Amino acid sequence: METSESSSRRTIFSLLVGLLFVFLLARLVQLQFLYQDVYGKKSEENSIRPIAHDPIRGYVFDRSGRLLVDNRPSYTVTVTPAEFHSTSIPLLSRILSVDSELIQERVNKGKVYNRFSPVKVRRDIDFQTLAAIEENRDKLPGVDYQIESKRFYPTKAKAAHLFGYTKEISDQQLAAKGDEYRPGDVIGATGLEAAYDSYLRGQKGYEFITVNAKGQMLGAYNEGRNDITTKEGDDLFLATDGPLQALAESLLTDKRGAVVAIDPDDGGVLALASKPDYDLTLFGGVTPPEVWDALTTDSARPLFNRATMTRYPPGSTFKMVLAAAALQNGVVNPAARITCTGGFQFGTRLFKDHVTHGSTNMVEAIQRSCNVYFYQLMLKTGFESWTRYGEEFGFGSATGIDILEETTGLLPSEEYFDRIYGERKWTKGYLVSLAIGQGEVGVSPLQMACYASTLGNEGYYHTPHVVEKIRDRETGEVRGVPVETRKVELSDQTWKIIHDGMYRCVNEEGGTGLAARVAGVQVAGKTGTAQNPHGEDHAWFVGYAPLDHPKIAICVLVENAGFGGSIAAPIAGMCIEQYLYGKLIRNQRNAPSLIAAKANHPQPQTQTQPQTESH
Amino acid sequence: MDSWFKEHIDFATMGIVAALLLIGIASVYSATYDAEAAVFFHRQIIWAGIGFLLMLSIMLTPFRIVQLLSYPLYGASIVVLMTVLAIGKAVAGSKSWFGIGGLGLQPSEIVKVTTILALASYLSQRHVNLRRFQDILVTFAIVLIPVGLILLQPDMGTAIIYLGILLAIVYWAGASNFLIMALLAPVAAAIASLFGTSAFVAVLVLTIIVLFFIHENRLASATVFSGTVLVGVSVQFIFGKLAHYQQKRILTFLNPEADPLGAGYNVIQSKIAIGSGGLLGKGYLQGSQTQLNFLPAQWTDFIYCVPAEEFGFLGAFLILILLTLLLLRGVRTASVVKSRYASVVAIGVVGTFMIHTLINIGMATGVMPVIGVPLPFLSYGGSNLLTNMIMAGLLLNMYTNRKEY
Repeated sequence: METSESSSRRTIFSLLVGLLFVFLLARLVQLQFLYQDVYGKKSEENSIRPIAHDPIRGYVFDRSGRLLVDNRPSYTVTVTPAEFHSTSIPLLSRILSVDSELIQERVNKGKVYNRFSPVKVRRDIDFQTLAAIEENRDKLPGVDYQIESKRFYPTKAKAAHLFGYTKEISDQQLAAKGDEYRPGDVIGATGLEAAYDSYLRGQKGYEFITVNAKGQMLGAYNEGRNDITTKEGDDLFLATDGPLQALAESLLTDKRGAVVAIDPDDGGVLALASKPDYDLTLFGGVTPPEVWDALTTDSARPLFNRATMTRYPPGSTFKMVLAAAALQNGVVNPAARITCTGGFQFGTRLFKDHVTHGSTNMVEAIQRSCNVYFYQLMLKTGFESWTRYGEEFGFGSATGIDILEETTGLLPSEEYFDRIYGERKWTKGYLVSLAIGQGEVGVSPLQMACYASTLGNEGYYHTPHVVEKIRDRETGEVRGVPVETRKVELSDQTWKIIHDGMYRCVNEEGGTGLAARVAGVQVAGKTGTAQNPHGEDHAWFVGYAPLDHPKIAICVLVENAGFGGSIAAPIAGMCIEQYLYGKLIRNQRNAPSLIAAKANHPQPQTQTQPQTESH
Repeated sequence: MDSWFKEHIDFATMGIVAALLLIGIASVYSATYDAEAAVFFHRQIIWAGIGFLLMLSIMLTPFRIVQLLSYPLYGASIVVLMTVLAIGKAVAGSKSWFGIGGLGLQPSEIVKVTTILALASYLSQRHVNLRRFQDILVTFAIVLIPVGLILLQPDMGTAIIYLGILLAIVYWAGASNFLIMALLAPVAAAIASLFGTSAFVAVLVLTIIVLFFIHENRLASATVFSGTVLVGVSVQFIFGKLAHYQQKRILTFLNPEADPLGAGYNVIQSKIAIGSGGLLGKGYLQGSQTQLNFLPAQWTDFIYCVPAEEFGFLGAFLILILLTLLLLRGVRTASVVKSRYASVVAIGVVGTFMIHTLINIGMATGVMPVIGVPLPFLSYGGSNLLTNMIMAGLLLNMYTNRKEY
């Protein structure tokens, strides 16, 4: 039937066949070449399922290798959404005493993520609960438990604010952190746990298994060759001294305040205590909401890290900054005496001293904390220079400590006053308060400890750090954490005067810090009282020891405790004693007499009580 | 002797069919490997063996006998269809299976062949002219009787196949462009109206333009156009009246991926299987999609994914090119045969294979709706395979007897 019409139909039919061929070929090329990556990945996700294994979280040791933080086993109940029946929710809810809605919510979330991966519904169950789960296994399909670890603190050093706690990762963190974390993972929330989370957590291991379309496991994928072994978390070795930390915490019992001790040789944090604190083990497993509410609403603010976050005027402890500025600028002859009449008239205002000191040179002014001396010194030295030396000693900026949360404090400057009060709207009278560390200036105990350390080692300002070394558990390799150091340049004479004044403050008659004395050790220090318009003043003490080559620099702050000399100084003394002797050698109830008896270097006449009026 | 074979036997077609059969058997083996479905592989070998013999015997059946049997076979198959409706057992909600000795037979498959034969017989009569209205009516009736019975079963896929066959045959048998248009336009309008008003309007505009160029008389053109409008509007109207779940079902049919856990699941898994095959594939029996049974009953309608995943583009392309060559060879046979009857039969077979290939591979690659249509010679299934072998046998027969009138 070959006609011209039929031959044209043959052509059209052949063309249609060709068109069909080209159409399907184009689609094949698109799928198998252009989108091969996409579909290849999807096919892997389809059939290969990773089973994650959590690593052991790294341990924490003190400077002598004492174990401060380790792990204990804890049982976590999980539910695999694909196998779980919602009819088991009421029973599971009863056994775990967890809301049914919460279980349902977790299961739903898990379903969206991957219905074959177990989701954690309750951490840290006790053995009775575990037994109940075991008994009801047949009624609870898809319910299982995993052994996880929870933090345990074997020593008396509880260091809540230093160690910090871990908690389950939040949705926001999950979104921000990306691939490394999975829902239900634990992440450091505060303190070292947060700052060193990437070291402590280790790396998850993955076992790859093949599953069929129903999600049934068929065995190891590629005979386990692709499995990733779990890498345990790194151990942290702290600069912290466990017993000193424990003592500092116990000395602050029933007080509000902080103790920070620093190694003047390298800036290592020997102790960092803040009270009131909280029990870290409350965060080890599941934190009941009522516990969390109690902690966050407590007016004593136990979660607040006073050692790094609190900001008070430093009081007289700040006088060495002004002394250094004055001496370096040569505006004063340190031997020159002024007469303290118990007050300082500036313009229409009378600035009082706490006592009439009479004839006073610079060393004695530091020793006895003479305000009048420093009032007039401030006016000679000038604001700008005071601010500059304040900055040199690290005030007004973050110290850069490795536990993340700290305040910068506030160091007023001319620009600052211009901004706050308006240009030329403030007078030199404003400076008079700053001279004795009152007014706008605000510092944290940590900054004060760094300041004490820099005074003690004659100008080496080390960035404070808690972690000294990090040990890789797999290789045993230990890496030191680099320390940044800068130098505060003061003349030898300046250093000598500051040391003299601070030594005498603790060791000689008329000194305000006598309560910080330690038998057999030359302690140097300075007391301070931060005026508090809302209540009792806050007591400060900064110091270092031994005088000629300090091994410890310390700051003690006790809130609402009155004078630094009577409350803060003895705490500092005992901490220094503990650290240098490895134990307390004094009878705590009768400290001063014991110091006198054991003293083996020239002592001033023993005073029965520290001067309560001292600053 | 050699030259007689060369002269009378279409070795090209036979070779292609044999190659496709082997690929199909290998694919069914892979798809059922390690599963409790190995019985499918054994059955497929038996069907292929029987089918090959059937193909050869049809090739060797005298041409006149085939021609003479056309109407009786057609009549018999209609009776069978009616019987199925009355007593057939339901498989997957569709009463199209006949239980014979444990092996299911699907009469609607074989009715395709008898319908083609009947159409060929009718259209090869000298007085029949597809420009005459009553002849067109008879032609349609030959197709609509089995289609109506099949739609009662109900089996959408097979009905669409029949429409394709009808179009191919009437076009080949000399139907005017106007008739083709009259058949195509309402279908296009019905589908387009489901996609939205703008698609519907586009189809209407296109219809007007084509009708204008065809130059048929105005009354006929107007009738076709208003019919097209009517079909489109009523489809939209009926769609609006449907329950929500029914609407959803229709929309999923048009866009399966809107329902990833239902109808879309197969398409998504099928695309993953094909796409992840890449150039060289994952290796025989190594396809994770296939071996881990991500596609339910993959050995039937989604068989194409098996070679496409395990042999990659090379495998997928080989099958596509074999099918294309088979189709071109069939078009050539339809053109060279002297008998009009033989020509229409050949083109009917080509049309059947063509629309099966388009819908099946199109569905597996996600460019066609999911219609349960097997891939010729590859998909598992006795009725379908035997029907395909019979049609291949007819192609061979027409070639062998190409010089007869």
